[in-house]
Amino acid sequence: MYLNDFAYFAPKTSGEALNLAGRLGNKAKILAGGTDLLIMMKEKMLKPECLININDVKEFKGISYIPGKGAVIGAAAKISEIEHSALIKEKYFALHQAAGELGSVQVRTMATIGGNSCHASPAAETPPPLAALGASVIISSTAGEKELPVEKFILGNRKTALGEGEILTKFILPEPAPKSASRYAYIGLRDAMEIDAVNMAVNLVLEDDNRTIKDIKLVMGSVSPVPLVSAEIPGILVGRELNSELLEKAAQAASGEAKPINDIRASAEYRREMVAVLTRRVLQQAFNAASGLKEA
Amino acid sequence: MKQLIELEINGRIYEIPVSPKDLLVDVIRKKVGLTGTKKGCGQGDCGACTVLIDGEPVLSCITLAIACQGKKITTIEGLVAEDGTLHPIQQSFVDHGAVQCGFCTPGMILTSKALLDKNPQPTETEIKRGIAGNICRCTGYKRIVEAISAAGDTISSGGVK
Repeated sequence: MYLNDFAYFAPKTSGEALNLAGRLGNKAKILAGGTDLLIMMKEKMLKPECLININDVKEFKGISYIPGKGAVIGAAAKISEIEHSALIKEKYFALHQAAGELGSVQVRTMATIGGNSCHASPAAETPPPLAALGASVIISSTAGEKELPVEKFILGNRKTALGEGEILTKFILPEPAPKSASRYAYIGLRDAMEIDAVNMAVNLVLEDDNRTIKDIKLVMGSVSPVPLVSAEIPGILVGRELNSELLEKAAQAASGEAKPINDIRASAEYRREMVAVLTRRVLQQAFNAASGLKEA
Repeated sequence: MKQLIELEINGRIYEIPVSPKDLLVDVIRKKVGLTGTKKGCGQGDCGACTVLIDGEPVLSCITLAIACQGKKITTIEGLVAEDGTLHPIQQSFVDHGAVQCGFCTPGMILTSKALLDKNPQPTETEIKRGIAGNICRCTGYKRIVEAISAAGDTISSGGVK
Protein backbone atom coordinates (compact mmCIF):
# COMPACT_ATOMS: atom_id res chain seq x y z
CA MET A 1 0.00 0.00 0.00
CA TYR A 2 2.73 2.46 -0.86
CA LEU A 3 2.70 5.20 -3.44
CA ASN A 4 4.99 5.42 -6.45
CA ASP A 5 7.64 8.13 -6.48
CA PHE A 6 6.55 11.41 -7.95
CA ALA A 7 7.63 15.03 -8.11
CA TYR A 8 5.51 17.29 -5.92
CA PHE A 9 4.39 20.82 -6.70
CA ALA A 10 2.31 23.11 -4.50
CA PRO A 11 1.54 26.26 -6.47
CA LYS A 12 0.23 29.28 -4.57
CA THR A 13 -1.54 31.09 -7.39
CA SER A 14 -3.82 30.16 -10.24
CA GLY A 15 -1.19 31.33 -12.76
CA GLU A 16 1.46 29.06 -11.28
CA ALA A 17 -0.94 26.11 -11.19
CA LEU A 18 -2.02 26.54 -14.81
CA ASN A 19 1.59 26.98 -15.97
CA LEU A 20 2.58 23.79 -14.18
CA ALA A 21 -0.40 21.91 -15.60
CA GLY A 22 0.47 23.18 -19.08
CA ARG A 23 4.16 22.34 -18.79
CA LEU A 24 3.72 18.89 -17.21
CA GLY A 25 0.66 17.86 -19.24
CA ASN A 26 -0.33 14.24 -18.88
CA LYS A 27 2.63 13.46 -16.60
CA ALA A 28 0.83 15.29 -13.80
CA LYS A 29 -2.29 14.64 -11.81
CA ILE A 30 -4.08 17.31 -9.82
CA LEU A 31 -4.12 16.61 -6.08
CA ALA A 32 -7.17 18.15 -4.42
CA GLY A 33 -8.67 16.17 -1.51
CA GLY A 34 -6.75 13.02 -2.39
CA THR A 35 -9.53 10.77 -1.09
CA ASP A 36 -9.88 9.11 -4.50
CA LEU A 37 -6.56 9.93 -6.18
CA LEU A 38 -4.24 8.59 -3.47
CA ILE A 39 -6.28 5.40 -3.16
CA MET A 40 -6.04 4.82 -6.92
CA MET A 41 -2.28 5.40 -6.65
CA LYS A 42 -2.01 2.97 -3.74
CA GLU A 43 -3.83 0.38 -5.81
CA LYS A 44 -1.43 1.12 -8.72
CA MET A 45 -4.31 2.07 -10.99
CA LEU A 46 -2.49 5.36 -11.52
CA LYS A 47 1.24 6.13 -11.41
CA PRO A 48 1.59 9.83 -12.12
CA GLU A 49 5.12 11.24 -12.46
CA CYS A 50 4.06 14.50 -10.83
CA LEU A 51 1.36 15.74 -8.48
CA ILE A 52 0.17 19.33 -8.46
CA ASN A 53 -1.43 20.10 -5.09
CA ILE A 54 -3.99 22.87 -5.69
CA ASN A 55 -5.10 23.24 -2.06
CA ASP A 56 -2.99 26.36 -1.53
CA VAL A 57 -4.42 28.18 -4.55
CA LYS A 58 -6.81 30.78 -3.15
CA GLU A 59 -8.54 31.45 -6.49
CA PHE A 60 -9.66 27.81 -6.67
CA LYS A 61 -11.33 27.85 -3.25
CA GLY A 62 -14.35 29.32 -1.49
CA ILE A 63 -18.00 29.95 -2.21
CA SER A 64 -19.24 33.33 -3.42
CA TYR A 65 -22.68 34.60 -4.34
CA ILE A 66 -24.04 37.55 -6.24
CA PRO A 67 -27.79 38.14 -5.68
CA GLY A 68 -29.66 37.70 -8.92
CA LYS A 69 -26.71 36.03 -10.62
CA GLY A 70 -25.97 32.93 -8.61
CA ALA A 71 -23.08 31.23 -6.85
CA VAL A 72 -19.53 30.39 -7.78
CA ILE A 73 -17.96 27.44 -5.96
CA GLY A 74 -14.22 26.96 -6.24
CA ALA A 75 -13.29 23.47 -7.43
CA ALA A 76 -11.03 23.04 -4.38
CA ALA A 77 -13.84 23.95 -1.96
CA LYS A 78 -14.17 21.18 0.59
CA ILE A 79 -17.34 19.09 0.69
CA SER A 80 -17.73 19.99 4.40
CA GLU A 81 -17.65 23.69 3.50
CA ILE A 82 -20.53 23.11 1.07
CA GLU A 83 -22.39 20.94 3.59
CA HIS A 84 -22.23 23.71 6.23
CA SER A 85 -22.72 26.73 3.95
CA ALA A 86 -25.93 28.57 4.90
CA LEU A 87 -26.09 29.96 1.38
CA ILE A 88 -25.95 26.54 -0.30
CA LYS A 89 -28.56 25.23 2.13
CA GLU A 90 -30.92 28.11 1.39
CA LYS A 91 -30.48 28.35 -2.37
CA TYR A 92 -29.26 24.94 -3.54
CA PHE A 93 -30.77 22.49 -1.09
CA ALA A 94 -30.16 19.33 -3.13
CA LEU A 95 -26.44 20.08 -3.21
CA HIS A 96 -26.45 20.69 0.55
CA GLN A 97 -28.11 17.30 1.06
CA ALA A 98 -25.72 15.46 -1.26
CA ALA A 99 -22.65 17.05 0.35
CA GLY A 100 -23.86 15.93 3.78
CA GLU A 101 -24.26 12.34 2.62
CA LEU A 102 -20.83 11.99 1.03
CA GLY A 103 -18.42 9.68 2.87
CA SER A 104 -17.63 10.40 6.51
CA VAL A 105 -16.80 13.54 8.45
CA GLN A 106 -13.13 12.93 7.65
CA VAL A 107 -13.77 12.38 3.96
CA ARG A 108 -15.96 15.50 3.76
CA THR A 109 -13.22 17.50 5.50
CA MET A 110 -10.69 16.39 2.89
CA ALA A 111 -12.59 15.86 -0.36
CA THR A 112 -13.39 18.68 -2.77
CA ILE A 113 -16.36 19.34 -5.00
CA GLY A 114 -14.09 19.52 -8.05
CA GLY A 115 -12.54 16.17 -7.25
CA ASN A 116 -15.95 14.55 -6.94
CA SER A 117 -16.72 15.50 -10.56
CA CYS A 118 -13.20 14.93 -11.93
CA HIS A 119 -13.03 11.42 -10.48
CA ALA A 120 -16.20 10.81 -12.52
CA SER A 121 -17.45 7.85 -10.53
CA PRO A 122 -20.94 6.96 -11.77
CA ALA A 123 -22.00 6.73 -8.08
CA ALA A 124 -20.69 10.20 -7.14
CA GLU A 125 -22.98 12.25 -4.92
CA THR A 126 -22.56 15.83 -6.12
CA PRO A 127 -22.79 15.67 -9.96
CA PRO A 128 -26.55 14.82 -10.05
CA PRO A 129 -27.60 17.83 -7.90
CA LEU A 130 -25.13 20.10 -9.71
CA ALA A 131 -26.58 19.05 -13.06
CA ALA A 132 -30.17 19.35 -11.80
CA LEU A 133 -29.44 22.88 -10.56
CA GLY A 134 -28.11 23.84 -13.98
CA ALA A 135 -24.50 24.18 -12.87
CA SER A 136 -21.64 24.43 -15.29
CA VAL A 137 -17.91 23.91 -14.81
CA ILE A 138 -15.11 26.28 -15.72
CA ILE A 139 -12.13 24.53 -17.25
CA SER A 140 -8.98 26.62 -17.17
CA SER A 141 -5.63 26.39 -18.90
CA THR A 142 -2.90 28.80 -19.96
CA ALA A 143 -4.94 29.27 -23.16
CA GLY A 144 -7.96 30.60 -21.24
CA GLU A 145 -11.25 29.37 -19.87
CA LYS A 146 -14.17 27.41 -21.20
CA GLU A 147 -17.55 26.61 -19.72
CA LEU A 148 -19.45 23.33 -19.95
CA PRO A 149 -22.64 22.04 -18.30
CA VAL A 150 -21.77 19.46 -15.61
CA GLU A 151 -23.53 16.69 -17.54
CA LYS A 152 -21.35 17.43 -20.60
CA PHE A 153 -18.18 17.49 -18.48
CA ILE A 154 -18.58 13.92 -17.23
CA LEU A 155 -18.27 11.69 -20.29
CA GLY A 156 -18.19 8.19 -18.82
CA ASN A 157 -16.96 6.02 -15.97
CA ARG A 158 -13.75 7.85 -14.87
CA LYS A 159 -13.81 9.93 -18.06
CA THR A 160 -14.18 13.70 -18.24
CA ALA A 161 -13.85 16.43 -20.85
CA LEU A 162 -10.68 17.61 -19.12
CA GLY A 163 -7.86 17.85 -21.68
CA GLU A 164 -4.09 17.85 -21.26
CA GLY A 165 -2.92 20.85 -19.25
CA GLU A 166 -6.42 21.78 -18.11
CA ILE A 167 -7.72 22.18 -14.55
CA LEU A 168 -11.34 22.28 -13.41
CA THR A 169 -11.32 25.51 -11.42
CA LYS A 170 -14.90 26.40 -10.52
CA PHE A 171 -18.59 25.65 -10.71
CA ILE A 172 -21.12 28.29 -11.72
CA LEU A 173 -24.60 27.83 -10.24
CA PRO A 174 -27.36 30.01 -11.68
CA GLU A 175 -29.66 31.96 -9.34
CA PRO A 176 -32.58 29.66 -8.49
CA ALA A 177 -35.84 30.61 -10.19
CA PRO A 178 -38.63 32.01 -7.97
CA LYS A 179 -40.96 29.28 -6.66
CA SER A 180 -38.38 26.57 -7.19
CA ALA A 181 -37.03 23.83 -4.97
CA SER A 182 -34.43 21.10 -5.30
CA ARG A 183 -34.12 17.79 -3.51
CA TYR A 184 -31.66 14.86 -3.37
CA ALA A 185 -32.23 11.29 -2.27
CA TYR A 186 -30.28 8.06 -2.40
CA ILE A 187 -30.46 4.36 -1.70
CA GLY A 188 -27.48 2.65 -0.11
CA LEU A 189 -26.78 -0.54 1.77
CA ARG A 190 -26.26 1.32 5.03
CA ASP A 191 -26.43 4.88 6.26
CA ALA A 192 -22.78 5.63 6.89
CA MET A 193 -19.75 5.52 4.59
CA GLU A 194 -21.63 3.77 1.84
CA ILE A 195 -21.44 4.24 -1.90
CA ASP A 196 -24.85 5.03 -3.35
CA ALA A 197 -26.57 2.18 -5.19
CA VAL A 198 -28.85 4.79 -6.77
CA ASN A 199 -29.03 8.52 -6.22
CA MET A 200 -31.14 11.26 -7.70
CA ALA A 201 -31.63 15.00 -7.69
CA VAL A 202 -34.42 17.17 -8.99
CA ASN A 203 -34.94 20.89 -9.44
CA LEU A 204 -38.55 21.92 -9.90
CA VAL A 205 -40.02 25.34 -10.75
CA LEU A 206 -43.70 26.25 -10.33
CA GLU A 207 -45.84 28.84 -12.11
CA ASP A 208 -47.24 31.82 -10.19
CA ASP A 209 -50.30 29.76 -9.23
CA ASN A 210 -48.02 27.67 -6.95
CA ARG A 211 -49.33 24.44 -8.50
CA THR A 212 -48.53 24.15 -12.18
CA ILE A 213 -45.06 22.84 -12.98
CA LYS A 214 -43.21 25.36 -15.14
CA ASP A 215 -39.86 23.62 -15.46
CA ILE A 216 -38.22 20.49 -14.14
CA LYS A 217 -34.86 18.77 -14.37
CA LEU A 218 -34.38 15.34 -12.83
CA VAL A 219 -30.95 13.72 -12.82
CA MET A 220 -30.20 10.11 -11.91
CA GLY A 221 -26.87 8.85 -10.57
CA SER A 222 -25.35 5.40 -10.32
CA VAL A 223 -27.71 3.98 -12.97
CA SER A 224 -25.65 5.00 -15.99
CA PRO A 225 -21.94 5.73 -16.58
CA VAL A 226 -22.78 9.46 -16.42
CA PRO A 227 -25.31 11.61 -14.54
CA LEU A 228 -28.44 10.79 -16.51
CA VAL A 229 -30.76 13.73 -17.20
CA SER A 230 -34.30 12.45 -17.68
CA ALA A 231 -35.48 13.39 -21.16
CA GLU A 232 -39.06 12.21 -20.60
CA ILE A 233 -40.02 13.77 -17.28
CA PRO A 234 -40.35 17.39 -18.49
CA GLY A 235 -42.77 16.19 -21.22
CA ILE A 236 -44.88 14.41 -18.62
CA LEU A 237 -44.97 17.11 -15.96
CA VAL A 238 -44.47 20.58 -17.43
CA GLY A 239 -47.73 22.50 -17.64
CA ARG A 240 -49.44 20.17 -15.18
CA GLU A 241 -50.13 19.87 -11.49
CA LEU A 242 -48.56 16.98 -9.65
CA ASN A 243 -51.01 14.21 -8.81
CA SER A 244 -50.59 10.56 -7.95
CA GLU A 245 -51.26 9.42 -11.51
CA LEU A 246 -48.60 11.72 -12.98
CA LEU A 247 -46.21 10.84 -10.18
CA GLU A 248 -46.51 7.18 -11.11
CA LYS A 249 -46.12 7.95 -14.82
CA ALA A 250 -42.97 9.95 -14.11
CA ALA A 251 -41.58 7.20 -11.86
CA GLN A 252 -42.09 4.57 -14.56
CA ALA A 253 -40.59 6.83 -17.22
CA ALA A 254 -37.44 7.46 -15.17
CA SER A 255 -37.19 3.76 -14.38
CA GLY A 256 -37.39 3.00 -18.10
CA GLU A 257 -34.70 5.54 -18.95
CA ALA A 258 -32.21 4.25 -16.36
CA LYS A 259 -29.42 2.03 -17.64
CA PRO A 260 -28.31 0.26 -14.45
CA ILE A 261 -25.81 -2.57 -14.15
CA ASN A 262 -25.43 -5.48 -11.73
CA ASP A 263 -22.57 -4.96 -9.33
CA ILE A 264 -21.47 -5.55 -5.77
CA ARG A 265 -23.87 -2.93 -4.41
CA ALA A 266 -27.12 -3.85 -6.14
CA SER A 267 -28.66 -5.69 -9.07
CA ALA A 268 -29.83 -3.85 -12.15
CA GLU A 269 -33.38 -4.97 -11.45
CA TYR A 270 -33.32 -3.56 -7.90
CA ARG A 271 -31.78 -0.31 -9.09
CA ARG A 272 -34.51 0.11 -11.69
CA GLU A 273 -37.16 -0.36 -8.98
CA MET A 274 -35.38 2.12 -6.72
CA VAL A 275 -35.29 4.72 -9.49
CA ALA A 276 -39.09 4.66 -9.42
CA VAL A 277 -39.13 4.92 -5.61
CA LEU A 278 -36.69 7.84 -5.53
CA THR A 279 -38.45 9.61 -8.39
CA ARG A 280 -41.74 9.59 -6.48
CA ARG A 281 -39.92 10.70 -3.32
CA VAL A 282 -37.90 13.62 -4.72
CA LEU A 283 -40.73 14.89 -6.95
CA GLN A 284 -43.19 15.00 -4.08
CA GLN A 285 -40.68 16.61 -1.72
CA ALA A 286 -39.59 19.23 -4.24
CA PHE A 287 -43.19 19.97 -5.24
CA ASN A 288 -44.23 20.44 -1.62
CA ALA A 289 -41.25 22.65 -0.88
CA ALA A 290 -41.74 24.81 -3.98
CA SER A 291 -45.46 25.27 -3.33
CA GLY A 292 -44.84 26.09 0.33
CA LEU A 293 -46.50 22.93 1.64
CA LYS A 294 -45.00 21.19 4.61
CA GLU A 295 -42.68 18.30 3.84
CA ALA A 296 -44.43 14.95 3.91
CA MET B 1 14.40 12.38 -3.38
CA LYS B 2 14.13 13.39 0.27
CA GLN B 3 13.70 16.91 1.46
CA LEU B 4 13.62 18.42 4.92
CA ILE B 5 10.21 19.68 6.02
CA GLU B 6 8.85 21.10 9.25
CA LEU B 7 5.74 19.63 10.78
CA GLU B 8 3.99 21.02 13.85
CA ILE B 9 2.67 18.10 15.85
CA ASN B 10 1.02 18.63 19.24
CA GLY B 11 2.53 22.08 19.47
CA ARG B 12 6.09 20.93 18.83
CA ILE B 13 8.02 21.54 15.60
CA TYR B 14 9.71 18.49 14.08
CA GLU B 15 12.24 18.73 11.24
CA ILE B 16 11.82 15.59 9.20
CA PRO B 17 13.34 14.33 5.95
CA VAL B 18 10.52 13.05 3.73
CA SER B 19 9.85 11.95 0.17
CA PRO B 20 6.78 13.46 -1.47
CA LYS B 21 5.18 10.02 -1.42
CA ASP B 22 5.48 9.63 2.37
CA LEU B 23 2.10 9.43 4.04
CA LEU B 24 1.37 11.39 7.18
CA VAL B 25 0.49 8.27 9.17
CA ASP B 26 3.86 6.65 8.42
CA VAL B 27 5.78 9.84 9.20
CA ILE B 28 3.97 10.27 12.53
CA ARG B 29 4.46 6.65 13.53
CA LYS B 30 7.89 5.79 12.15
CA LYS B 31 9.80 9.07 11.90
CA VAL B 32 8.33 11.02 14.79
CA GLY B 33 7.69 7.90 16.86
CA LEU B 34 4.18 8.75 18.02
CA THR B 35 2.52 5.38 17.68
CA GLY B 36 -0.84 6.33 19.16
CA THR B 37 -2.07 7.00 15.63
CA LYS B 38 -3.06 3.66 14.15
CA LYS B 39 -2.88 2.43 10.59
CA GLY B 40 -5.89 0.29 9.77
CA CYS B 41 -7.26 -0.15 6.28
CA GLY B 42 -4.87 2.26 4.57
CA GLN B 43 -7.70 3.32 2.25
CA GLY B 44 -9.51 5.98 4.19
CA ASP B 45 -12.39 3.75 5.20
CA CYS B 46 -11.81 2.79 8.85
CA GLY B 47 -10.83 6.04 10.56
CA ALA B 48 -8.14 4.47 12.81
CA CYS B 49 -5.53 6.86 11.38
CA THR B 50 -7.58 9.99 12.12
CA VAL B 51 -5.59 13.01 13.31
CA LEU B 52 -6.70 16.61 13.64
CA ILE B 53 -5.31 19.13 11.18
CA ASP B 54 -6.15 22.68 12.21
CA GLY B 55 -8.83 21.13 14.42
CA GLU B 56 -10.54 19.12 11.68
CA PRO B 57 -10.46 15.31 11.52
CA VAL B 58 -8.36 14.03 8.63
CA LEU B 59 -7.35 10.55 7.47
CA SER B 60 -3.57 10.46 7.80
CA CYS B 61 -3.25 7.29 5.68
CA ILE B 62 -4.37 9.19 2.58
CA THR B 63 -2.67 12.48 3.38
CA LEU B 64 0.79 13.39 2.10
CA ALA B 65 3.07 14.54 4.92
CA ILE B 66 4.66 17.10 2.62
CA ALA B 67 1.25 18.76 2.18
CA CYS B 68 0.93 19.37 5.94
CA GLN B 69 3.63 22.01 6.29
CA GLY B 70 2.42 25.09 8.13
CA LYS B 71 -0.54 23.27 9.67
CA LYS B 72 -1.24 22.30 13.25
CA ILE B 73 -1.41 18.53 13.59
CA THR B 74 -2.88 16.99 16.73
CA THR B 75 -2.49 13.29 17.52
CA ILE B 76 -3.93 11.39 20.47
CA GLU B 77 -0.71 12.06 22.42
CA GLY B 78 -1.48 15.76 22.15
CA LEU B 79 -4.70 15.54 24.17
CA VAL B 80 -3.07 14.61 27.47
CA ALA B 81 -2.16 17.53 29.72
CA GLU B 82 1.51 18.03 30.59
CA ASP B 83 0.97 16.59 34.06
CA GLY B 84 -0.47 13.44 32.53
CA THR B 85 -4.13 14.26 33.20
CA LEU B 86 -6.30 12.71 30.54
CA HIS B 87 -8.50 14.88 28.34
CA PRO B 88 -12.16 14.69 29.47
CA ILE B 89 -13.02 12.63 26.38
CA GLN B 90 -10.22 10.16 27.15
CA GLN B 91 -11.30 9.98 30.79
CA SER B 92 -14.90 9.44 29.74
CA PHE B 93 -13.89 6.55 27.45
CA VAL B 94 -12.09 4.95 30.40
CA ASP B 95 -14.97 5.57 32.81
CA HIS B 96 -17.58 4.15 30.42
CA GLY B 97 -15.60 1.07 29.38
CA ALA B 98 -15.67 2.38 25.83
CA VAL B 99 -12.30 0.78 25.03
CA GLN B 100 -12.12 -2.90 24.13
CA CYS B 101 -9.17 -3.81 21.91
CA GLY B 102 -8.34 -0.11 21.69
CA PHE B 103 -7.27 0.02 18.05
CA CYS B 104 -10.03 2.39 16.99
CA THR B 105 -9.84 4.46 20.17
CA PRO B 106 -7.32 7.18 19.21
CA GLY B 107 -9.18 7.95 15.97
CA MET B 108 -12.53 7.69 17.70
CA ILE B 109 -11.48 10.17 20.40
CA LEU B 110 -9.99 12.67 17.96
CA THR B 111 -13.10 12.58 15.78
CA SER B 112 -15.19 13.07 18.94
CA LYS B 113 -13.05 16.03 19.93
CA ALA B 114 -13.68 17.71 16.58
CA LEU B 115 -17.39 17.03 17.02
CA LEU B 116 -17.59 18.32 20.61
CA ASP B 117 -15.50 21.40 19.80
CA LYS B 118 -18.27 22.46 17.41
CA ASN B 119 -21.24 20.96 19.19
CA PRO B 120 -20.57 20.29 22.90
CA GLN B 121 -23.95 18.66 23.54
CA PRO B 122 -24.76 16.55 20.51
CA THR B 123 -27.79 14.28 20.30
CA GLU B 124 -27.28 10.55 19.99
CA THR B 125 -27.96 10.79 16.25
CA GLU B 126 -25.45 13.60 15.87
CA ILE B 127 -22.83 11.53 17.69
CA LYS B 128 -23.51 8.49 15.51
CA ARG B 129 -23.31 10.62 12.40
CA GLY B 130 -20.14 12.24 13.69
CA ILE B 131 -18.31 8.96 14.26
CA ALA B 132 -19.67 7.24 11.14
CA GLY B 133 -16.18 7.25 9.66
CA ASN B 134 -14.61 5.46 12.63
CA ILE B 135 -15.12 1.73 12.61
CA CYS B 136 -14.96 -0.29 15.85
CA ARG B 137 -14.75 -3.99 15.00
CA CYS B 138 -15.32 -4.97 18.62
CA THR B 139 -18.65 -3.23 17.87
CA GLY B 140 -18.53 -1.44 21.18
CA TYR B 141 -20.45 1.51 19.81
CA LYS B 142 -23.03 1.77 22.57
CA ARG B 143 -20.50 2.65 25.25
CA ILE B 144 -18.53 4.83 22.86
CA VAL B 145 -21.64 6.89 22.14
CA GLU B 146 -22.38 7.13 25.88
CA ALA B 147 -18.79 8.16 26.61
CA ILE B 148 -18.88 10.93 24.01
CA SER B 149 -22.21 12.20 25.27
CA ALA B 150 -20.97 12.27 28.88
CA ALA B 151 -17.71 13.93 27.86
CA GLY B 152 -19.75 16.63 26.15
CA ASP B 153 -21.63 17.25 29.39
CA THR B 154 -18.38 17.42 31.37
CA ILE B 155 -16.82 19.83 28.91
CA SER B 156 -19.91 22.07 28.80
CA SER B 157 -20.35 22.21 32.56
CA GLY B 158 -16.69 22.52 33.49
CA GLY B 159 -15.59 24.76 30.66
CA VAL B 160 -12.68 22.42 30.04
CA LYS B 161 -10.97 23.02 26.74
